[in-house]
Amino acid sequence: MFQFSSEFGSQERKIIIQRILFVCFAIIVFRLFQLQYVYYEEFGKRSKENSIRTVIQEPIRGYIYDRNNILMVDNKPAYTVMIVPSDFDEKNIPLVSYILNIPTEEVKKNLRKAKIYNRFIPSRLKRDITYEQMAHIEEYGKKLRGIEVEAETKRTYVTNAKMSHALGYVKEISKRQIENSEEYYRPGDLIGNNGIESKYEKYLRGIKGFEYISQNSKGQRVGTFNNGNSDILPIDGADLYLSIDANVQALAESLLSDYRGAVVAIDPRNGGVIAFASKPDYDLTEFSGITTNEIWNSLLKNPTKPLFNRASLTRYPPGSTYKMVLAIAALENNIIDENWRVQCRGGFQFGNKYFKDLHIHGSTNVVEAIQKSCNVFFYQLMLKVGLDKWSQYGKEFGFGEVAGIDILEENSGLLPTTNYYNKTYGVGKWTQGYLISLGIGQGELGVTPIQMANYAAMLANKGKYFQPHILDYTFDRNTKKKELPEISQRQTKISEKTWQLVREGMRRVVMETSGTASAARVKKIVVAGKTGTAQNPHGQDHAWFVGFAPYDNPTIAICVLVENVGYGGAFAAPIAGKCIDRYLHPLPINKTIETLSVTENKNDSSKVAVQQKSGIN
Amino acid sequence: MATYIKGYFDFKLLITFLVLITIGLVSIYSSTADTPQYFTFYRQLAWSGVGLILLLIGMFIPLRELERTSYFVYFFSLIILALVLIAGQKVYGSKSWFGYGGFGIQPSEFVKITTIIAVSAFLGKSTTSIANLKDTLGVFGIVIAPVFLIMLQPDFGTALTYLGFFIPLIYWSGSSNALIVAIISPIIIAILSLLGTTYFVIALILVGIGIILLKEDIFISAVLFGINVISGIMTQIIYNILPFYQQKRILTFLDPSADPLGAGYNIIQSKVAIGSGGLFGKGFMNGSQTRLSFIPKQWTDFIFCVTGEEFGFIGSIIILGLFAYLLYRGLWLASITRNRFGSLLAMGITSLFAVHIIVNIGMVIGLMPVIGIPLPFLSYGGSSLCSYMLMAGLMLNVYMNRKLY
Repeated sequence: MFQFSSEFGSQERKIIIQRILFVCFAIIVFRLFQLQYVYYEEFGKRSKENSIRTVIQEPIRGYIYDRNNILMVDNKPAYTVMIVPSDFDEKNIPLVSYILNIPTEEVKKNLRKAKIYNRFIPSRLKRDITYEQMAHIEEYGKKLRGIEVEAETKRTYVTNAKMSHALGYVKEISKRQIENSEEYYRPGDLIGNNGIESKYEKYLRGIKGFEYISQNSKGQRVGTFNNGNSDILPIDGADLYLSIDANVQALAESLLSDYRGAVVAIDPRNGGVIAFASKPDYDLTEFSGITTNEIWNSLLKNPTKPLFNRASLTRYPPGSTYKMVLAIAALENNIIDENWRVQCRGGFQFGNKYFKDLHIHGSTNVVEAIQKSCNVFFYQLMLKVGLDKWSQYGKEFGFGEVAGIDILEENSGLLPTTNYYNKTYGVGKWTQGYLISLGIGQGELGVTPIQMANYAAMLANKGKYFQPHILDYTFDRNTKKKELPEISQRQTKISEKTWQLVREGMRRVVMETSGTASAARVKKIVVAGKTGTAQNPHGQDHAWFVGFAPYDNPTIAICVLVENVGYGGAFAAPIAGKCIDRYLHPLPINKTIETLSVTENKNDSSKVAVQQKSGIN
Repeated sequence: MATYIKGYFDFKLLITFLVLITIGLVSIYSSTADTPQYFTFYRQLAWSGVGLILLLIGMFIPLRELERTSYFVYFFSLIILALVLIAGQKVYGSKSWFGYGGFGIQPSEFVKITTIIAVSAFLGKSTTSIANLKDTLGVFGIVIAPVFLIMLQPDFGTALTYLGFFIPLIYWSGSSNALIVAIISPIIIAILSLLGTTYFVIALILVGIGIILLKEDIFISAVLFGINVISGIMTQIIYNILPFYQQKRILTFLDPSADPLGAGYNIIQSKVAIGSGGLFGKGFMNGSQTRLSFIPKQWTDFIFCVTGEEFGFIGSIIILGLFAYLLYRGLWLASITRNRFGSLLAMGITSLFAVHIIVNIGMVIGLMPVIGIPLPFLSYGGSSLCSYMLMAGLMLNVYMNRKLY
């Protein structure tokens, strides 16, 4: 047969085996060199990504204080239910749904989302649960594995000054907001919506911190990375100190509570907003955390439009409150002087139209015309001054454009000009008759309460415009740095003599018995002001009042609007007087104070304590 | 006296074994400290103590007695292997353990030794000739029996390692190249045929050329070629009648990247571990892949990535160098030993080491399919460590008796 063997243990075979082994080892060495030298960077990067997880550390949102350092907006702990899908037993879905009072479908949906995100990391299941729900979860303890409760913070409003429209609220960021913002936010983050919460979001939110932790292949935390030396601590948000006086604000809101309307008060020395109330309003606490669809829908469908910010968005004719603009225009252009008089017989015939006055004022000069709000005087004056000069001075006082308050939403109002009439009616198609209504602040003229407050402030400080601002300054607790908002200013050129006449008229409105606003008087203080009634073809007239105090050295200018009630002197002026009184005669601070003792029909339950937080840190 | 002892004991080999065991302990410590498996290190330390005793037994057991009783021991070990199938514990899907509580013994680790001893005794007899068809079948029989039992567990990885010492042993004992080709080529053909017809045809052509180069007569060449063709076709037929999940298992075995969450996951993570070690490594206890248990049970079969990650390319080369020296020394020992049984024993043990080293490291660095076999001396495992140390003792024993006939 054939030869099936050769010599036992030959040297030749040993060498062949050696060579085979050499080749195998050479391949292994080559491969190791490839992995550990050639592809080192790639594998090194992958290994880092594998094992280090970034955990975001939420900063504490800045607190909000009023001008007297009273804490208005605080953060309180809120409890969020988290779910860890890898630990969670799906048999418990109905139980979780029962405890949290959410449909099983929603639990399943959130669980699915959480699984996709990361099975081993807690994901939000429900924000802001009640204490009862938390106690319930703890009761079940181990049975509910994979369900955790995590403490977060939630905005809470500690004074009885709601200021809903100006403050705005903090809510979970929407998809659209993420798309439209810079690369800071992630789904689930909270963001300021509306008002100063939105305007000063960048100050308030602070800066997120990052903690790097070592994790194992299951995503479980096994320790810190680099002993925490690489961690970036969160930087808490800066606090806001507002020019708002929480007591005046609370009072204004309570005085308006039976009406629809707005109160805006401004410090005429610097443009700081003292009060910014719009009624009806809504409860901000309902917006913090989660807002249910029911709350949203009821607010949206409410016929009184509580979401609508009347203080800066509503637009009505100013009525007689606007008469000072016409008087100034006339005096400044030397069209009249203080001795120019009009005989008021209770009405004014122009062409085939008769314009009424409320009373028969007799012979009236400019000061008396303001004091008594004589329409006939101003009808005639308007015809003498003309549209162009009238609108020029309206513009000087900021009408027809936004006042520039720092809460984003504002209506510019409407200040009719020659251009406007030419555009609306056509060149030559409108007559002087169109102007007569404008003379007493009616007609197309449209103004907002914030514009009117700014106007009152300029009357108070003799023509200085300060951009109205709710924020006084921001204070960063880490750097101890104060930052003031940038505000624009300008000075109108109106003579001292004109100011004297117009302001004297306004003083008499309040202080003289024949004035229209004696209801705005304040003990020991000289108040100046002007009432107005905006004609409303759809119902009751709107009541206006603008004013300032103290007369010689004003520290507060105010505008009050009450919708659909009637005369300004009867409804708006008393509210203004009470607000001025509260501002100039503040309640003792450092004590629990009652702020709702004003309106007679308030019962005890509406007396709410204002919590005082002492100073800065 | 000193020279006498130096000539008597193979200190170089002994030190190599001890250094490797130490490296293994260090790696196990690093991969399990601070984890719930921290006790693994202490167990391995205890097993090393047991292993040292077995090493001494292996060293001083009389070789002639071993040769004389080899068949008896071999059959006895087969019975135990059969018993494990009936009464053993199932661990990781294989019924291969005898044990109580936390401790267990894997008989298949020791059956490797008894099989090597039995084959060596069979081929070492002066009356046996591998040229004789009857004796060839006899050798096959000795190896097939334990392989069959281990396949039943089922543990294909361990079964495959039997080929690793069987082929070198018959080659060393003087079989013709044709016999070796006849054994190896059908296996290669079978594997390649699973990858596709193109691979199958190319492999068949290459085997054909190889057979022509062997310059055997036409009849033998034709038989060899025929075996290969049949192997390839049969593999295809068997593969196609297998259920889908088994087909998938085979494919994953051949290409782990096709299953990145299963078997592929280990390979990907172990490559990341080794690659991220770089030239000098991340330092002892600093391997993030290792410390954070990205590779499941890496203190067993994937121990090489611990050193690869923590000591880098340099560390890997040092370990490879130690293994290379071990194999070089073993081959040298086989070639200088005058006694046929001793020479075959040295060759069998050396080639078993070689197969474990090459297949295990090849698997860890992604060159080979995932076959669950340990890395000698380094991997955690009482039975395997003890069996390797017993084999190390036997090598030292052969060295001491290398001059005897």
